[in-house]
Amino acid sequence: MRLRPLIRGRDALLPTRRQLAVFGGYLAAAAVYVGIGVYEVDFLLSYWVAVAYVLVTVWIVPSVVRRLR
Amino acid sequence: MSWAAHDLEPYAIQKHTRIKLAFVPLLIGSYSPDMMSKWFVYGIHLGPWDLKARDPAQFHRGWPGVGFTHSLIFGVVVCLLLWKVVGSKTWGVSFLIGQWAHALTDTGDTVGTMLLFPWTQHFHLDAWAYAGQAGRFTDAAAYFSGLGGMWDAVFLVYGLFSWRVLTARYFDEVIYPADRFWSFLNRLVPRAGLIALYRAAFFYGSSRWVAWTVWAHLVKGYPYDLSWGGPHWVQAAHP
Repeated sequence: MRLRPLIRGRDALLPTRRQLAVFGGYLAAAAVYVGIGVYEVDFLLSYWVAVAYVLVTVWIVPSVVRRLR
Repeated sequence: MSWAAHDLEPYAIQKHTRIKLAFVPLLIGSYSPDMMSKWFVYGIHLGPWDLKARDPAQFHRGWPGVGFTHSLIFGVVVCLLLWKVVGSKTWGVSFLIGQWAHALTDTGDTVGTMLLFPWTQHFHLDAWAYAGQAGRFTDAAAYFSGLGGMWDAVFLVYGLFSWRVLTARYFDEVIYPADRFWSFLNRLVPRAGLIALYRAAFFYGSSRWVAWTVWAHLVKGYPYDLSWGGPHWVQAAHP
């Protein structure tokens, strides 16, 4: 039996540290989204609200923060 | 009907289809059968008027009604329009696959879909209760208490195991080159924004799966009923 090597890139078996950090950012954004949605369920109904939320939380805000540093 | 599967399925399809697919029309195809009809199924208040289908299941999935949007022929017609009128075979085929995935997935409930329209026979597996007629919130509670929610969970877990399709590298090497839409949008939105847009449907599907599940079971206390055709505490519609 040959073991599959832990190669990097598109076929990697494990995510890199940077990919885990990005995932953590999305996870944090998702936790807040779920919290808002459970409190106010109308928030969960629109795809476009979710798209706007994702763009703001995982792209625009981090970009602005990076620029301000 | 399905709640999160239509958001999550395109990522799995994109990964496993050997032909060149464009993600945006694949996602539009996956959403298309419900795009124009969901608001009328659940009903809306517009000033003094309440607008709602008299028979939501019939309107949504039947004929007369807009049930033809859940048929295989609807996907073929839009595919040919995109291919011959808009001039993009990739967009046409991608839309077709997304729309077919939606139409087939919705055969899982008790109303099913008229897959072979204009033949108006409904194909339905009766795995979970169709409860659109009970209103948006009861429908959500029922869906996330039965096998429908579990079907969504399959795609959620599968998506997490297939995490590579969500990486920036996969976007750069597979998603972006497959569709000129992304390079067009790239004139206005930088790469980081495009990647966030690409991931948005997965974010939406998975986050609201969690949110609706928490709302239905921890906040409202609806009971799970994972039996075939359940949950049986809601009146299921039939064709």
